[in-house]
Amino acid sequence: MKIKYNSEIISGIVFLVAAAILWVLVPSQIDTLETSAVNAQTIPRIAIGGMFLFSLGLLLQGVFANEKKVVILNRSTFASESFRKEMRSVLYALILLAYIVLLTFVGFLISTALLVVAILLFYGVRKWYYYAIPLAMVGVVYFVFKTLLHVSLP
Amino acid sequence: MFLSGLQVLLQWQNFLIIPLGLALGIVVGAIPGLTSDLGIILCIPLTYGMEPTMAILMLLAIYCGGTYGGSITAILINTPGTSANAATLFDGYPMTKKGMAYKALSMALFASTIGGLISAFALLFLAPQIAKVTLLFGPAEYLALAVFGLSVIAGVSNKSIFKGLIGACIGVFISTIGMDGISGTTRFTFGNLQLMSGINLIIALIGLFAISEIMMKSQYNPRTDKKVFDASSITKCKITKEEYKRCRKPIGIGSLIGCIIGATPGTGGGLAAFIAYNQVKTSSKHPETFGTGEIEGIAASESANNGACGATMIPMLTLGVPGDGATAILMGAFMIHGMVPGPMLFRDQGNVLYAIMIGLIVINVFMYLIGSVFTRFYAHITRIPYEILGCIVLTFCTAGAYSTSNSLYDVYIIVIVGIVAYFLRRMDFQLVPILLGIVLGPLAETNFRRALVLSDGSLSIFVTRPISLAFLLIAAGTVLLFAWKTARAKKISPRPR
Repeated sequence: MKIKYNSEIISGIVFLVAAAILWVLVPSQIDTLETSAVNAQTIPRIAIGGMFLFSLGLLLQGVFANEKKVVILNRSTFASESFRKEMRSVLYALILLAYIVLLTFVGFLISTALLVVAILLFYGVRKWYYYAIPLAMVGVVYFVFKTLLHVSLP
Repeated sequence: MFLSGLQVLLQWQNFLIIPLGLALGIVVGAIPGLTSDLGIILCIPLTYGMEPTMAILMLLAIYCGGTYGGSITAILINTPGTSANAATLFDGYPMTKKGMAYKALSMALFASTIGGLISAFALLFLAPQIAKVTLLFGPAEYLALAVFGLSVIAGVSNKSIFKGLIGACIGVFISTIGMDGISGTTRFTFGNLQLMSGINLIIALIGLFAISEIMMKSQYNPRTDKKVFDASSITKCKITKEEYKRCRKPIGIGSLIGCIIGATPGTGGGLAAFIAYNQVKTSSKHPETFGTGEIEGIAASESANNGACGATMIPMLTLGVPGDGATAILMGAFMIHGMVPGPMLFRDQGNVLYAIMIGLIVINVFMYLIGSVFTRFYAHITRIPYEILGCIVLTFCTAGAYSTSNSLYDVYIIVIVGIVAYFLRRMDFQLVPILLGIVLGPLAETNFRRALVLSDGSLSIFVTRPISLAFLLIAAGTVLLFAWKTARAKKISPRPR
């Protein structure tokens, strides 16, 4: 399958859809009792409306004006270097999401230490002191925040 | 009064406490998530036993140090320590990427000091006059000021104005989440109680810049992409005489804008820095170099945000109206020490007040001295391998975000905002318009609605008041000038086919 695209087309479509959904949600999410023409809904409506119009402009710019990349979707696409790079970003995002879940259950010290190890493994680090420095820093931050700033980290 | 103030200031304890406050402020300011506001709050209890002059000088030193300290991380790791340093990112980080971190840090320090000094002199000699002008500001003028600030978008969206405008809309939308300050209606909280207080600016800042920057490095390969810096060459790249000469005008413009914006209550150093950056870029003969590591950009933004530091004290000391969050806390500290800010303060405790105002000049001089010693150490941060630096930054960001309101919810927000910001960056979106929307959205909305209440719903209020009209015209002029310059630049250098 052959696909022609550029960042304007993709972001134009994404924000066009997002703005349309948000516009529909305004009455249910901003249930104001004000009767004046300018009320709690006005600025969100201006922002969402603006987002819709500018996304439309961006989409049209992408379709008619700018150069497009051509991607042919087949098996080799998924084995390519660029696809692998994109997957690395997705994996990194998943590590961060897993971290916030872990942080909720096991607290700052253990979860951040595990995050540090996960990131260093992600980069393929082998030197032991590369692990020791940020791990020690986690301990230092925990101590400084707790004793000097009186912030009890979870 | 001036001489008796000087007498109060010239005590050895004051000269000991100022460097201490500055060092603390710089550290707190440089950690993303921790602001000078927090530093002042934490140190207020330490000042209970001190003389009023000494106590206020220490807190002022934290405030000034924090505003400068935020530039260190903005330059080195693309994450402003405080919202006031967001405009320093434009050219600070590109300079670091070119191996000119030391030069960028030195200029940030120099511009911060000059801006701070000009602001301190303005506070000392022009406070009552400036306060009279800012008293003329009503809702219409504030809205026009916010629109003026938003005109910066035209300058930072060189690649695509549509993307810049969408970014600003996203920012304004984010700023409306939570409870509406005027009607009390909840907006886009989806029934979540945590969202009632909205999304904190500092939290948004950490997510937008720090987490997205860490995500951008996810494709970094330590084996092939590692830069090897020669330790001795890092501090060799110093500011030349010609660069000092070139930066005179940006620093002058930045300091002046910093003083005016800072003296306007409810604004702050962040807005001053953006406006100054925009004005310097517009008036420059080479606007195309801004955003690619132009030292004048750092000079403008850093002189403006520190220029606002002393000026925010003007409405506080003369009228009893705090200019921003930090001065509101400082006002509390004044009261704790038996001084009620307002017109009577000059009459009742003039000597202490003059000691503090002259002390602000001393603080800025000390800031330069301390900064010059440590800048060479900060510059070496660029030598730390990214695998380690990324982990350390993440640790600070999590702890800093949590400490903002002792809530895990803020940590969730930084990660989610960071991931979304990463995808926006990959689609060539600039993050600064989003930040501008978040910063200026509440200022614009509140004053837009107030102005329309005053004018019975007539929009003419924005063009019939001279200050408001002037700001709107300057904003329109700035946008048109950018459009003309961009069109001319395209005409001169057509795209290669």
